[in-house]
Amino acid sequence: MDTKERIQQTVTGHPVVLFMKGTPDFPMCGFSASAVQILDTCGVKALHTVNVLDDPEVRQGIKDYANWPTIPQLYVNGEFVGGSDIMKEMYQSGELQKLLEEKA
Amino acid sequence: MVTPEQVREYIINGLECEKLEVVGDGEHFEALVVSAAFIGKSRVQRHQTVYAALGERMREEVHALSMKTLTPEEWAATGG
Repeated sequence: MDTKERIQQTVTGHPVVLFMKGTPDFPMCGFSASAVQILDTCGVKALHTVNVLDDPEVRQGIKDYANWPTIPQLYVNGEFVGGSDIMKEMYQSGELQKLLEEKA
Repeated sequence: MVTPEQVREYIINGLECEKLEVVGDGEHFEALVVSAAFIGKSRVQRHQTVYAALGERMREEVHALSMKTLTPEEWAATGG
């Protein structure tokens, strides 16, 4: 299975997936930490995280997958939602909570 | 080390902007981008448009870029 298929399987296999640097308990980047915090505040229970620092292929592959050059990246039901700026904007406007309630 | 002025220049060379402000410390940058190119586009598509203007530099030189992406109309509505 190539990297793209692995990523696809991950994002479709869990309702909410966050590709991040580090883990929710030990985020290794401020943007990843902020992404975890937002999802926590939204009450996401079944969060699946992938630490890209553990997997160089996924670290590069995820950038190509969504045509998005930065990490963190949030996926809900297999669809790319955005990075940390977009998550913050959507949280502030209430859109993120709505999306997570409806879909996750 | 990349300066905010350079990042500003990279973006403006690839994307017509009504307003563009970039601040940063050489690794982390913040940009306010107002462009008519964003009309009718989602947030993800808007950010992708800016990333495309930066091209390979986004992977090599710029570690992180926070963005606010607004259409001229949205910018006017913020009182800008």
